[in-house]
Amino acid sequence: MQAPPDRRFAADAEAHRRDAPRHCPGCGAPPAIVTEFWEGTARRFYCSCSGCGWTGEITPTGDVAVGHEPEH
Amino acid sequence: MLTAEQNDELTQVDAGTPMGEVLRRYWYPVAFTRELAEFPVKRVELLGEFFALWRSPSGRYGIVPEACPHRKASLAYGVVESDGLRCPYHGWVFDEAGACVEQPAERDDTRFGARVSAQAGVAEEMGGLVWAYVGPGPAPRLPRFDTYVMEGFRDIGWADLPCNYVQIMENAVDPHHVEWLHGRYFQFIGRHEGFTSPASFAKKHQKVGFTPFEWGIIKRRVLEGASEDNDDWKVGHPLVFPYNMRVGGGGVHQMQIRVPINRTTTRFMLYTVHRPDEGYEHVEQPVVPDYNIPVVDEKGRHVVNYVEGQDIMAWVTQGAITDRTTEHLGRSDIGVAMLRKMFREQMDRVARGEDPLGTIREEHERIDLPCEKDKFHAGAQFALDFCDMGSTRFSPMLDAIKKIHVSAAERVASGSASGSGS
Repeated sequence: MQAPPDRRFAADAEAHRRDAPRHCPGCGAPPAIVTEFWEGTARRFYCSCSGCGWTGEITPTGDVAVGHEPEH
Repeated sequence: MLTAEQNDELTQVDAGTPMGEVLRRYWYPVAFTRELAEFPVKRVELLGEFFALWRSPSGRYGIVPEACPHRKASLAYGVVESDGLRCPYHGWVFDEAGACVEQPAERDDTRFGARVSAQAGVAEEMGGLVWAYVGPGPAPRLPRFDTYVMEGFRDIGWADLPCNYVQIMENAVDPHHVEWLHGRYFQFIGRHEGFTSPASFAKKHQKVGFTPFEWGIIKRRVLEGASEDNDDWKVGHPLVFPYNMRVGGGGVHQMQIRVPINRTTTRFMLYTVHRPDEGYEHVEQPVVPDYNIPVVDEKGRHVVNYVEGQDIMAWVTQGAITDRTTEHLGRSDIGVAMLRKMFREQMDRVARGEDPLGTIREEHERIDLPCEKDKFHAGAQFALDFCDMGSTRFSPMLDAIKKIHVSAAERVASGSASGSGS
């Protein structure tokens, strides 16, 4: 019934499943829903929690800490 | 991007699924009033289930599951009688509350009838549509949104689309698509077909915003040449949770309705009221006219030379259910993420036994929704573009509608305007 998976982006789907946050930063419960989007090279996870109501974006940064806001 | 499990949960409509249970807390338009005036019983599909909808001789409406509890024959072929709907097969009668009030071949002194209630929903008429609620009781009130009860000249365009309703609703929180799908793409089609597309639709978005409110999400935009003082930002227009979007401007008021017929079929309806703020003189309509809007041409290609046809193309070509496990959202899609959150929150509310967003239990006369009047800061030109470049082009009422807008403008110009904004 669903459209067949787009095999071109199987790696992105797998990365989402691997990296999507599993715990709410507020209360530690599993987030109710996690929508991933991109901003430049950054992957961002828009999360909301049914347990405590926390809503926000989580962005993996890797080892590099950027000290200025990129152009957008 | 979502996991497959989250996409599956989000797009369900069937009873017993979290989202299906949310959807069963709302009223839906299931017929045109004129249909049951022409013939008093109709088969209806809603949320993946079939029902028999009927209008009694006294004008009351009833809705029950299609299968007769007796031997499962279709009650949509029933006989409409003063006290209910009679099954065509063996004559059992069900009243508007679903009670079996007659079993002709059974003895009167048994309590057999009490065992076979038809689990009725509730149905009412409003604004030229018959509305039904098929969820658990007690039913909330039918929301009397402004478009359905305001004075004005009405028509309803519609089409059944082969896709899940969620991808249509996600379009309602996607302002940027307007400047591309209805801007650049419209210009491209216009160049090939020999018409000029509306310039206001191609204006570049400078800023978009989304505000949750008691009926859904208000969508806002600042277009090039405008500011936050313009209606597009200051007022915006709402996604009305879970299946509507209120739009309008230039004396046009519209509710875009997306009824989940089943998981992969959505009835798309454009309920439009023409009511210029000034200079309007009311025209009586004994029947609200409805008309089909084209989806594909004789070659099976989408009809894309009008605004809603372009939207339909974008919704349907995503597939019956969009594969959200391989989508690639950007920052500009943040409204889509907010809507998914809203859907998920309502699943939790219903699971806790609470009413979801936008259910109303208080008696009320009219619910006014926020909606910009100066759309795309295009002034009165918006109404003319709406008639020529949108689905209204296919309305049997097109000439009458144009006359309403032109006459109102002439009355204003001559200083004889009698109508006022409502």
